Amino acid sequence: MHHIYCPYCEETREEEEYSYTGEAHIERPKDPASITDEAWGDYLFFRSNPRGIHHEMWFHAAGCRRYFNATRDTHSYQIHETYKMGELPTITAKTIAADTLAAQQGDAS
Amino acid sequence: MTSVSTNFSAGDMMESPLHHHVAHTNHSDAGIVMKEDKFRGHLNLRGNPEDTAFTSAVESVLGVALPITANTSVRSGDTVAYWLCPNEWLLIVASGTQGQVEADLRLAVANKGADQHIAITDISSGQTLVNLSGSGVAELLQKSTVYDCHVSNFPVGKVVQTTFAKTGTTMCKLEDGSMDLVIRRSFSDYFFLWLQDASEEYGLQIA
Repeated sequence: MHHIYCPYCEETREEEEYSYTGEAHIERPKDPASITDEAWGDYLFFRSNPRGIHHEMWFHAAGCRRYFNATRDTHSYQIHETYKMGELPTITAKTIAADTLAAQQGDAS
Repeated sequence: MTSVSTNFSAGDMMESPLHHHVAHTNHSDAGIVMKEDKFRGHLNLRGNPEDTAFTSAVESVLGVALPITANTSVRSGDTVAYWLCPNEWLLIVASGTQGQVEADLRLAVANKGADQHIAITDISSGQTLVNLSGSGVAELLQKSTVYDCHVSNFPVGKVVQTTFAKTGTTMCKLEDGSMDLVIRRSFSDYFFLWLQDASEEYGLQIA
């Protein structure tokens, strides 16, 4: 079982209290009528399926009933951070790659 | 025609359809004492905690300030306010007064000039308040909920919404060490059957 930190309850709770609700940071097209069917279809149905860092929404169903975002590694299942709706992640695939590179260079020197 | 012998007798092996309702008698030295605080007024309140006109209006009606800190509660006489999320509270008031409290809240919020983007919902008929006390409560909660209810993690006044077996509950620790649980009406039968089963080893008393 995971222990997941809820940024609203400000506590780490059991995974059983939560449910996963899909990819985060998907922006609705400003003017749906002016975009192509393909672009609308992409927005509506198509999701990224990365191996590695994924930003996704979770719902604290049995707790405060708020949605929040989580940054999770789909390979290791490790949750790097959780953050409130409307906020941006501090940990991304880029920052992790940079950290890894820095660590490797540190080892080499 | 041979008669079929029926060796079944109403003994230890058989349970009548109503077995679960009569299996537990009231133990005088029960480790779990359940008391339903019936017909209290339950109001769900939503509003912006950063709007001081809203918070002061609510305070003027309840007599206490709304709890703004996560997982906390405040108490004033018969009234208790639970923090549910950053902009949602559960107010439990004296039986029969919920209509008046709701009207008072609406009036106070309007008079204080607070942001009108608020919601006050009477949910009294949808849930009930149950108090669990006794020496076995800590262990009972250990096997009923995924939350760590140990005293080191659950001080007096703390409010936690979590799972209770396969239903949900809102728990609040009282000064006497007992636990108040808000449970849904639709899950009350389930809750009670679970409680009976889980408290079998401690003895259950209905107060």
